[in-house]
Amino acid sequence: MTETQYIGKKIRSKEAPRHVSGGGQFVDDVSLPGMLHAVVLRSSYAHARMGHIETRAALEVPGVVAVLTSEEVKRTSRPFKPGRYSAGLQKPIPEYATAVDRVRYVGEPVAMVAARSRAVAEDALDLISVEYEPLPAVVDPWEAMEPAAPLLFDELDSNVAWKGALSYGDVDEAFQSADQIVREKLKIHRYSSTPLESLACLASFDDASSKLTLWCNGQNPEVLYDALGEALDVQDVRVILPDIGGGFGQKIHLIRKYVVLTGLMSVKTGRPVKWIEDRTEHMMAAGQSCGMEFDIEAAVKKDGTVLGLKIQEVDDVGGSVSTLTIHFTNKLNNLFSTYKVKNFRLEGRSVVTNKCPVVPNRGIGKPSMCFIWERMMDRVAQELGMSPVEVRSKNLVPTSEFPYTAPNGNVYDSGDYTQLLEKAVKKLEYEKLRKELKQKREKGKYLGVGLVIGLEPGGRNAARDMAIFPDVKELPGAGGVEGATIKLERNGSVTVFLGAPSCGQFHETTTAQVVAENLGLSPDNISVAPRFDSEVSPWGVASSNTGNNFHLYDIGAVHGASLKLREKILQLSAHLLESSPQKLTIDDGIISIQGSPDKTFTFNELGKIAYGNQSLIPEGLEAGLQTTYYYKFPHAQPFMVPDKEGRVRAQFTFSAAAHGAVVEIDTETGRVKVVRYIIVSDNGTIINPDVVDGQIYGSVAHGISVALGEGFVYDSDGQLLTVTLTDYSKPTACETPRVEIEHAPVPSPFSVLGQKAAGEGAAIPSPAAIASAVEDALQPFGIKIRELPLSPEVIWRLVHQGER
Amino acid sequence: MKQLIQLRINGQAYEEEAEPRMLLAFFLRETIGLTGTHVGCVVGECGACSILLDGRVVKSCLLFAVQANGKEITTVEGLAQDGELSPIQEAFVKHYALQCGYCTSGMLLAAHALLTRNPDSSEEEIRRGLAGNLCMCTGYTQIVDAVKAAAGEYKKV
Ligand code: FES
Ligand code: FES
Repeated sequence: MTETQYIGKKIRSKEAPRHVSGGGQFVDDVSLPGMLHAVVLRSSYAHARMGHIETRAALEVPGVVAVLTSEEVKRTSRPFKPGRYSAGLQKPIPEYATAVDRVRYVGEPVAMVAARSRAVAEDALDLISVEYEPLPAVVDPWEAMEPAAPLLFDELDSNVAWKGALSYGDVDEAFQSADQIVREKLKIHRYSSTPLESLACLASFDDASSKLTLWCNGQNPEVLYDALGEALDVQDVRVILPDIGGGFGQKIHLIRKYVVLTGLMSVKTGRPVKWIEDRTEHMMAAGQSCGMEFDIEAAVKKDGTVLGLKIQEVDDVGGSVSTLTIHFTNKLNNLFSTYKVKNFRLEGRSVVTNKCPVVPNRGIGKPSMCFIWERMMDRVAQELGMSPVEVRSKNLVPTSEFPYTAPNGNVYDSGDYTQLLEKAVKKLEYEKLRKELKQKREKGKYLGVGLVIGLEPGGRNAARDMAIFPDVKELPGAGGVEGATIKLERNGSVTVFLGAPSCGQFHETTTAQVVAENLGLSPDNISVAPRFDSEVSPWGVASSNTGNNFHLYDIGAVHGASLKLREKILQLSAHLLESSPQKLTIDDGIISIQGSPDKTFTFNELGKIAYGNQSLIPEGLEAGLQTTYYYKFPHAQPFMVPDKEGRVRAQFTFSAAAHGAVVEIDTETGRVKVVRYIIVSDNGTIINPDVVDGQIYGSVAHGISVALGEGFVYDSDGQLLTVTLTDYSKPTACETPRVEIEHAPVPSPFSVLGQKAAGEGAAIPSPAAIASAVEDALQPFGIKIRELPLSPEVIWRLVHQGER
Repeated sequence: MKQLIQLRINGQAYEEEAEPRMLLAFFLRETIGLTGTHVGCVVGECGACSILLDGRVVKSCLLFAVQANGKEITTVEGLAQDGELSPIQEAFVKHYALQCGYCTSGMLLAAHALLTRNPDSSEEEIRRGLAGNLCMCTGYTQIVDAVKAAAGEYKKV
């Protein structure tokens, strides 16, 4: 890029001043006249048939206004349509906002109470009685696959609700020509990003106009819209997404149940209804990442070249089919990671169990795909007696091959993976460090280093999931469309509306920087609407705080809209200054003719004219100074729609990073301490360095903590044992290490500013980095790390009992 | 039966009725209308609801409103003075020490109390001082940096 004034610079944040003053507006901060408070009755069984639900006593509690039972939900609403993740079901399985006739996980919603206060609603909850006939619960996916296992869904012949494969290249040939086959079994547990603000909805139905207004903290307006349309048959819907207290994927899917429930309750009572999830409900029922197991074989040459990979995957998707394949198809995004390997087969099974349904979570299937590659690279190095760095280097996509088309259709826009790895090696002083750590281990201090590399894909392609459902006729969308609207107001300030909500990624600040750059106006004079409002936000299929969409799509739209506005500003000014647009410059909101700085117009003057003085607006120029631009990624072909071989551009930009971890293990307690953690990161053009660093710090902290123990635990009856943040082991500032970041950006040739994704990325390689370092530290014990999490208990058992 | 309580919040006197079982966090948010105090767990684990009670950080979800009778409370809304952000608020803005902003009020009050007690806190002491406050977004780095940066201002007073 040429010299910039605002892009890439440090600027004062737009959002922070309101948050540090307590002025953020979250759903729970909104109150409406006559508003009722709702609470949800949930299943205490992991698996049971439901009979009658008795509500009489609850309804008699003073202050209680209504109870909505699952019987009524079934009668008065329609099931959700199978979405892109259950498109492959042989028989449709209707899913409603509550359980119907049968509960399949602890915490599954069964009924809702609305009352004049939350406390009263909670009192009434205890008075509802549900006839349950408990059924045997099946918690382990392998047990669920046994022929004699209790079936979760009568519509299915087994608990394997989906089975499928992705295959690229000639895998059999790769294995025949291999010098060696390296085998491994890996496993990743269930976890979540536990946003600090739990799910929240406020629905207000106006009977007179049949209009439903919904305040909610969902990440994806499309999901909410579709849910209300499908389930409630209300067509006039307004969705407002105010400040959102963290999302990370948790607020995409299951929130639709509560949107529909509060909507139904508002229709039923004729009053606004607010529902705020509590923490325990969140842990039990707001969604968890998928438990995954992999059986892997790698075909390798003696020199360390990896010819191909064969993987069998089992996904424990819990008690719903609505997100059946989500962790499988998300692997398409980084299926080949940073490697030039050509042959690959992934066979998957999604198994339903009596656990919480699965939802996306900081990277979704990508951390596990990276985990597979990086664990295997370490394994190959060990078996061939090579250095882990050497094996990786040998297999990286060469820098000269960008843009590089991976065998599954992904086109890697830009990158220099060799450089990332080399810089990380240098930063760590890797070879020297390895020697030092070895010496320390010989003296009984268990330190180890892990160095891994991974991708951070950005900008979702809405057609991706159809790669595994080639027979589905109707695409759920393709590519991505996202809009932005920019207005120069009458007083000369500029207002921007984005198509997508923000969950705390400083979209307002980053947007203001791009607009400031393009319009020649200080960011101080630019305000970006802090909320999504479906009535004004220009939104499309990519308008979602998911899929690392913001940098590609929103910035694309903001860039387009601001250039369009600039053109209009210059046209009007050229008319007023009796010049031509090409001869004009804009500086700090003042337009002048190059070379004659005394003839000027200010944005303020232009605003007054554009909206108020037709006599000064030239013929043929639209009045007003407002533009809307819908961005679609111009390089989305080939493979925007999956071809017969299952090739599809899963995402459109590819950031990458090398992660180096040094850990020390206390073998007495099993505790792993991260002594040093470095990241060398390529996120393309960086618009706001503080924001990008913040995203890296946040996502790496989560990835490390996932590796070291945070996670969900169920007992064999399907009761969740980790219902609080403490049980779940959420780390504080004390357990979270300081991370060193070095930037090595390679701008994308395809995006408007060379920008690529910078969001969830560091959560992708970090579990692999920690696993690798822990294995290195435990070398004297001959322990192989095959499973996450590496909690103190697990480490202790590995060291002292040689097992888990 | 509701009870009458008298207290000072951010320097202002209030006389309000509260049900005995009403938690202080909800009293502040709903009765008084100070929604800057957030609720992330209601069981004392997350710190989002942290406030100052007679100058000490407490989790307002672990107290009943009636327990605040006769006390002096500071919430995030009370940190700024004369329309100027306080040093700790300013440092949080400057250092991007937040993302979604949901933990921010509690973090600020915990950090303010810590620096008031010990403006010379080391990084480790800062981390320990903030251990009652969870942040799901930031990985804490920029928060710790902001607290360090604000410490100088606390030394002056
Ligand atoms: S809401 Fe009080 S500590 Fe979490
Ligand atoms: S900024 Fe989101 S929880 Fe801390």
